[in-house]
Amino acid sequence: MTKYIMQRLLATVITMFVILTIGFLVIRLMPGSIFDGYDEMTPEMMQALNAKYNFDKPVIVQYFIYLKNILLHWDWGISLKMNPNVPVWTIVKQKIPVTLYVNFYSLLLSLPLGLLAGIVMALKKNSGIDYGVSFLVVIFISVPSFVFATGLQYFLAYKFGWFPIIYDVNAVGTAKLHSLLLPILALAFSPIARVARYLRAELAETINSEYMLLARTKGLTYTQATIRHGIRNSLVPLMNIIIPMFTTIMGGSLVVERIFAIPGMGGLMIQAINTSDHQVTLATLMFYSFISIITILLVDLSYGIVDPRIRIGGGKAE
Amino acid sequence: MEPILQVKDLTVSFNAFAGTVQAVRGISFDLNPHETLAIVGESGSGKSVSIKAVLGILPKNGRIEKGEILYKGNDLTKFKEEDFYSIRGKEISLVFQDPLSALNPIMKIGKQITEALILSGSVEKSKAKAKAIELMEAVGIPDPELRFEQYPFQFSGGMRQRIVIAIALASDPELLICDEPTTALDVTIQAKILELINDLKRKKDLSIIFITHDMGVVANMADRICVMYAGRIVEYGTAREIFYEPAHPYTWALLSAMPDLDTKEKLFAIPGAPPNMLMPPKGDAFAARNKYALQLDFEEEPPYFKLSETHYAATWLLHPDAPKVEMPEILRERIARMKEKEAKSNGRAE
Repeated sequence: MTKYIMQRLLATVITMFVILTIGFLVIRLMPGSIFDGYDEMTPEMMQALNAKYNFDKPVIVQYFIYLKNILLHWDWGISLKMNPNVPVWTIVKQKIPVTLYVNFYSLLLSLPLGLLAGIVMALKKNSGIDYGVSFLVVIFISVPSFVFATGLQYFLAYKFGWFPIIYDVNAVGTAKLHSLLLPILALAFSPIARVARYLRAELAETINSEYMLLARTKGLTYTQATIRHGIRNSLVPLMNIIIPMFTTIMGGSLVVERIFAIPGMGGLMIQAINTSDHQVTLATLMFYSFISIITILLVDLSYGIVDPRIRIGGGKAE
Repeated sequence: MEPILQVKDLTVSFNAFAGTVQAVRGISFDLNPHETLAIVGESGSGKSVSIKAVLGILPKNGRIEKGEILYKGNDLTKFKEEDFYSIRGKEISLVFQDPLSALNPIMKIGKQITEALILSGSVEKSKAKAKAIELMEAVGIPDPELRFEQYPFQFSGGMRQRIVIAIALASDPELLICDEPTTALDVTIQAKILELINDLKRKKDLSIIFITHDMGVVANMADRICVMYAGRIVEYGTAREIFYEPAHPYTWALLSAMPDLDTKEKLFAIPGAPPNMLMPPKGDAFAARNKYALQLDFEEEPPYFKLSETHYAATWLLHPDAPKVEMPEILRERIARMKEKEAKSNGRAE
């Protein structure tokens, strides 16, 4: 298992390196330059700036300078347009916590609710409850999160005034949670529905398995057999959808952050692309890549925890 | 002796998409204490459904239409799910057909054996492991201490079936139902598992219902045999009576289809397929595949004709007015051979 984790970590580093390289090159190929909109600038001034930021050197040289700075000094360059002369890492550092806060809580909220809904649907399969919950599930999956965000904002925040309309940057503790609850909710609907739908399908199949029957004939009650034998066996394939789920939340949060004026990574990325602030764009790209890769890694490792055939059987195959 | 289990006129149907499947159509049998009763029949004859009805684990679309299942004076057909909790696994246990799918793939073997004991509170947690190790030894698992911590995928098929038997025996049941316990195993392992079941029966004083489609398996196991076809019992009697004096053409066919070492002729195969149980044929369900069938067999359901105190068969051939029909040649020869062998070995024993 340790060997497997080491292999995977190494693969993670290589993947990050590849993404950084491609990202760097592709962003340099985008149209537009940092001087767009500064018509009064003289060629001499441009030349001086280019020399200062190494833009006069070949792209490949720029790339190695960039890489060296990150690896040796954790220096991600400086912002040129949004917050001129502020180091990119300083900007990103401020934005990461609130984004992780929103995404993490919506995942935390959606997993148990999704599991619960899935279990109820599977146990009451083809009943009124099943049809009712299935109907909601279809709506939650097909309607994008920003529609829920706007709806929640309008009704719960504006009409009823239960929540602040936009995020209060200075709030801490419960007040912070209170002010972020609507975006968290808006982002959680789709994952809840996804988990519920998959678990229903898996569990409905597991419930009819021979080992569930054996559990009952050896004296377990129906509920005991379902909880102890049905659910855990259904979780193995479910791990698979947590990857797209987390990226869905992340993708949704790009827009939802804007709706609630949350100063997070989503807004930063959009702004950086619009203003051709390449260094910032690249840093946010790396952030999202890192989160996705780590999620995949965690999912792969969790297979081993849930399923002994992977944990123990994996050793034999080598 | 009072029977431990009495099934009377049990009828079970399934609601399927195409209509109502009449899986079991009024079967009756009883099981005496410390006896092995074999229920024999081909796939779809209603064997497994009958015992699922006994244990209250029919699928949701199945229901008991009529009949009684008397276990120690209680009618199990009137039981609710909760009432079964005091019986399933504790007094009546089931050994499954396919040990590969009957064990939970991600739970340790030891836990699967002790789980029910601990949950029902009949054995303390600290003593449960010792009990499980003892059981694993009893069913012939080497290195039980080590095996206790392993998962099903680390066991071979035969070993898994031994574990399934150990689980069934964990709460010291009185009645063990074996649902084709050797079908999924290869022949050498089959013999060992059958031996194990016979051995455990003696040691633990079990009563056994043994379900199989394999006449060869039955020979060494059963005290009495019920032959089932299309949801009905067509013949029942002691093992000796069924093997030496079979009376129903279906039993003849089953016995003729059984391979043995001395038969030189081509093995007999029953022509046709079992009837569609959505619309069971009237009369004797086997008539369409039966070359000895009388016109009456197609028209009216035969009653049970008594051959001896213990031996009954449902075929119009046994009616006094029916033409005299002999059992097939191949079977007659075989029975003669078996009797001869038996006489010889008895002679030697004396």
